[in-house]
Amino acid sequence: MRASPSQEEVRRHNLGTLLRYVHVHGATSRAELTTRLGLNRSTIGALTSDLIGAGLVTEAAPRETGRAGRPSLVVRPESGRVYAYALSIEVDRIRAARVGLGGRILEQYETARPPGMSTAEAVRPLARFVSTMRSGVPDDGRCVGSGVAVSGMARGEDGMVRLAPVAGWLEEPLGEALRSGLGEHGQISVGNHADVCALAEHSRGAAAGSDNVIYLYGDVGIGAGIVAGGRRVIGHGGYGGEVGHMVVNPYGSACSCGSRGCWETEVGEHALLRLSGRADRSGRDAVLAVVDAAMRGDSQAQHALRQVGDWIGFGVGNLVNIFNPEVIIFGGTLRDVYLGAAAQIRSRLNAIGLPAFREHVRLRTPELGTDAALIGAAELAFEHLLDDPLVI
Amino acid sequence: MAAKPLLELRGIDKSFGPVRVLHDVSLSVYPGEVTALVGDNGAGKSTLVKCISGIYPIDAGTVTFEGREVAVHSPRDAAELGIEVVYQDLALCDNLDIVQNMFLGREIRRGIALDEPAMERLAGETLASLSVRSVNSLRQLVSSLSGGERQTVAIAKAVLWNSRIVILDEPTAALGVAQTTHVLELVRRLADNGLSVVLISHNMNDVFAVADRIAALYLGRTAAQVRASDVTHAQVVELITIGRSGNLGLPPEAPNDFADLLPGAPR
Repeated sequence: MRASPSQEEVRRHNLGTLLRYVHVHGATSRAELTTRLGLNRSTIGALTSDLIGAGLVTEAAPRETGRAGRPSLVVRPESGRVYAYALSIEVDRIRAARVGLGGRILEQYETARPPGMSTAEAVRPLARFVSTMRSGVPDDGRCVGSGVAVSGMARGEDGMVRLAPVAGWLEEPLGEALRSGLGEHGQISVGNHADVCALAEHSRGAAAGSDNVIYLYGDVGIGAGIVAGGRRVIGHGGYGGEVGHMVVNPYGSACSCGSRGCWETEVGEHALLRLSGRADRSGRDAVLAVVDAAMRGDSQAQHALRQVGDWIGFGVGNLVNIFNPEVIIFGGTLRDVYLGAAAQIRSRLNAIGLPAFREHVRLRTPELGTDAALIGAAELAFEHLLDDPLVI
Repeated sequence: MAAKPLLELRGIDKSFGPVRVLHDVSLSVYPGEVTALVGDNGAGKSTLVKCISGIYPIDAGTVTFEGREVAVHSPRDAAELGIEVVYQDLALCDNLDIVQNMFLGREIRRGIALDEPAMERLAGETLASLSVRSVNSLRQLVSSLSGGERQTVAIAKAVLWNSRIVILDEPTAALGVAQTTHVLELVRRLADNGLSVVLISHNMNDVFAVADRIAALYLGRTAAQVRASDVTHAQVVELITIGRSGNLGLPPEAPNDFADLLPGAPR
């Protein structure tokens, strides 16, 4: 039998809870923290002064409250001082940012990713961005680590990335490459793009307050970040959420993974561009051009968008029936495809989703937009700090 | 989802002379939800909105707001209940800036002078609460804004007054794709913030992208009001074009409805 938690454990837990609250909700008065966290006033006071001592939060009197009585002190996360490096390796670009505690992007850099550049090769420009940012950090700044969002299947524990370009499966030890590229600067956590976007939208975006969320990220393929019961579903190897490879059409076309009729062969970028007669083009702009053409009345583009929308509805209906989510977020190029084909997506979902499941599901677009990947990647890095604020 | 409607219309009749425009129309609007009002040209959508907003008096029927029956005789009555309408032409003044437009006719005063700082702060807060980042300066003239930005300002103006119900008449008509997506997300956010939104649209994608409920009008009657999670695109199109779809919608017209118009019919 496990002994009840020690006083020290309770305190660590409370410190983490308080820091997480101001990290997610921003500046909060002590009085509000008392009611939100259900701790008494003196405990909040003691916890706050511990966190101030560790340089994680500041406390100040509010400017004006317009109410009578002594105003309650406001606790703010030290966004300018405590930060994480957030890196994002996407299909067509590479981004790096410094994100302060509280989820504020302090600075960010971006460069194009030429086609054919391997994930490991992307470390070089990332390392350059990080050293640029590092030289500008104020002296009292404190780095809690780095988080990386990568499009591809990523294993969290060591940052192994598995990819399936046309030639078959490849393993790329991204975590290792990053560790040697960035130098010793705290822990490096690697996550799948859709997973970290889900994390960001769940903590401070379109899915805030919902504990069952599916974030669908579309680029060339489709990936999902799944939050069930408030926890990320990443599976045994950490690769979970590859919904793009659920087979929806056994008679469909061949997929890059070696299978046939995967969901992404019906709804991915290639399918939309092929159906709309633009098979020679690729990339995000090409997808947006199809949606644009459809809205302007191009009948081939409209047809392509309707067909893809119908297939999206099939997949979403399956996911709704399995996970019973409150929110489904369409991110990446799926955002625009959703808004352009919502009638088909919703109709198919309504036709195949079980009534009790589809009644309460909200279909939404991201609130954090393209920042989600960076904020979510930083969230991975902040996780260690929030678990135990005084350790690092 | 709240079970009780914020605004409920029952049995609304409205005629212009001999022309019966609305006949026994009902509509329920729920807080935190987008209710799409759809119908063909001439189905009575705009007339219904003008009845709700107090521009046209209704001939018969009841209007219930928060469970009590109310009489809306003028736009002022509607505004007092917290009902704001954003019309298709937006009704913004090109020669005024964003803040002036948002407070036009309802300026905040300090003594005899206008309280510009307070108005600017409120306008800024309202736009920020809608996560609007595209507007550079609140003192920009409206004439310098793009179509989507104007729509945003018009919506922010409607939200500013602690309104409870915002009615949007074809907000995405005549907008480009990027601006349409932006406005749709804004519409959704209004409802997610707790407001009731009534969205009039001809575009089925817009309707399915953001609506929780769909009310279809057909020749001045309510064909049906359904949840957006219960119907398909094809069903809604049928409701709009023929007034019924399967067991949804109006009962089929009995052949003798028009019997008295036929030659040789008994009188």
